[in-house]
Amino acid sequence: MSLPVPPMAAFLKTADRWLDRLYGFCGALAALLLVALAGLIVTSILARLGDFYISGLNDYAGYTLAGTSFLAFAYTFREKGHIRVAILLTNVPPRFRMALQIWCLIVASVFSGWFAYFIVKLAYVSFLLGDKSESADATPLWIPQSLMAFGAVVLAICVVHNAVKFLIVRDETQVPGAQIGSGEA
Amino acid sequence: MNELALTAAFILMLFFFLGSGVWVALSLLGVSAIGMMLFTTRPVGDAMATTVWAASSSWSLAALPLFIWMGEILFRTKLSENLFKGLTPFMQRLPGGLLHVNIAGSAIFAAISGSSAATVATVGKMSIPELRRREYPEKMIIGTLAGAGTLGLLIPPSITLIIYGVTVNESIAKLFIAGIIPGITLALLFMGYTAIWAMTRGHKGDADARRYSWAEKARALALLLPVILLIAAVMGSIYTGIATATEAAVLGVVGALIISAVQKSLSWDSFRESLLGATRTSAMIAFILAGSAFLSLAMGFTGLPRALAEWIVTLEMTPITLIAALTVFYIVLGCFLDGISAIVLTMAVIEPLVRASGFDMIWFGIYLMIVVEMAQITPPIGFNLFVLQGMTSRDMGFIARAALPLFAIMVLMVALLVLVPELATFLPDAMKERP
Repeated sequence: MSLPVPPMAAFLKTADRWLDRLYGFCGALAALLLVALAGLIVTSILARLGDFYISGLNDYAGYTLAGTSFLAFAYTFREKGHIRVAILLTNVPPRFRMALQIWCLIVASVFSGWFAYFIVKLAYVSFLLGDKSESADATPLWIPQSLMAFGAVVLAICVVHNAVKFLIVRDETQVPGAQIGSGEA
Repeated sequence: MNELALTAAFILMLFFFLGSGVWVALSLLGVSAIGMMLFTTRPVGDAMATTVWAASSSWSLAALPLFIWMGEILFRTKLSENLFKGLTPFMQRLPGGLLHVNIAGSAIFAAISGSSAATVATVGKMSIPELRRREYPEKMIIGTLAGAGTLGLLIPPSITLIIYGVTVNESIAKLFIAGIIPGITLALLFMGYTAIWAMTRGHKGDADARRYSWAEKARALALLLPVILLIAAVMGSIYTGIATATEAAVLGVVGALIISAVQKSLSWDSFRESLLGATRTSAMIAFILAGSAFLSLAMGFTGLPRALAEWIVTLEMTPITLIAALTVFYIVLGCFLDGISAIVLTMAVIEPLVRASGFDMIWFGIYLMIVVEMAQITPPIGFNLFVLQGMTSRDMGFIARAALPLFAIMVLMVALLVLVPELATFLPDAMKERP
């Protein structure tokens, strides 16, 4: 990074490293939740075979699913996992591509910030009102929803982080979030 | 018409954001929010959060990450090698020789992974160098691989079918079962084309052809058997109603781990990599599905889906005209969008139209898979073509031309499916489904 004030640069580098760790940590947590999801479904199969009943297993599986998805959003963004239409980006001259990348990252920052704000609000309102799951388990909804809110906030941080970093270094190869993945499922 | 202008602005804005390269899921969320603000005074953000929560925590969606994980585990075994070695003794004496390995191998791998790019990459890794060494024409090697690679969307368990099922709220189990016969039919059509090509062009047959003993054939079969048994168990448990799609997916993950362990491919690293790979792919798809659920809601406020459905009904088009029009529409759309985006983006508008015209939604899902598959092998955006470009270092034009006959066969398959809808509806009607 070519910044005039060295302490600032050092700070940014440290922040960059710690933020990347945060995304990796959330990704690992998401992976654990995926294993937990498989575990929950195995439990429900065993429960059925053994003819005993555990209430709310399907709901827990749904919450776990939402958790694994949302916690992985930022990690997936960093790993170029979220797909984008690359036809224009790959076919324009470098200068225009640079401008296009900045546009995309700024738009994405705004959208993901808006997204995170309202997901957090949803969890907070559920908490205030004491909303409970409609089925037998009566889980307070704010518990799984706050996991989702956390994931959405980390995603917003990650997008803004990559946008700022791209504006500073102006180099795609150093900003994983700005790169185009081979995204296809 | 003010409404009409606003709706047009909404749709143009969507394509503008997508086309400029903004991540698909975020484009869907942001544009839907702006669109909804144009049409209603309701609190947009809160409606978004509720919709996204409901769409992301639905139990039926749980099958998605688990099937992806199953594929990721098997992808890291010696699958590519085993498919080639296992199929060779059975295919080499057919007219067209080992080109059939491309097709049969893709059909088997399609059942495992449900991703057509992964199918092309895995099967091609072993078969491209082998077939080149045996002097098969490059055009046929690439063409069969590009075409058969698309079977991943159709042959269950297919990730794209789950996405369709979740988007239009239809049974994933039924969709899976419905995909079996059309998937096998399409694979057989590809093989028939290869055989006819070999006979009419006087292809001399495999350069290394030799007679395999029964013992060798049995050993070859043993290489394929674990994976085939796993697929049979997964699909069988769904068909007989023993398991739901989600439960069958867990069965698939456990089976894949066992196969991987027996083949000594299972290590801490491969386990971790498969798990993280599945986590990323599922997160990507879950984000798009969350965005598309909100798009459907926002689109509903524009009144466009209903108006379009009513308009199409008053036209009194024959089903064949409508399907022909939709086929052209999806092939054009597929030139710019990947399969998943094309499906989730259009379903908000197309679903009411298709329902109002009286189509069976299960049948339509299978039709949609074939049409979206066709888009995977048409330039300029065809993911199978990109993968093959990377693997063969041929130019895009050559690859697209090699894939063209296979594209024509898929058009034939769509026609077959329209003429004989039972290809897709017979099995799901006969199955017992677990509620």
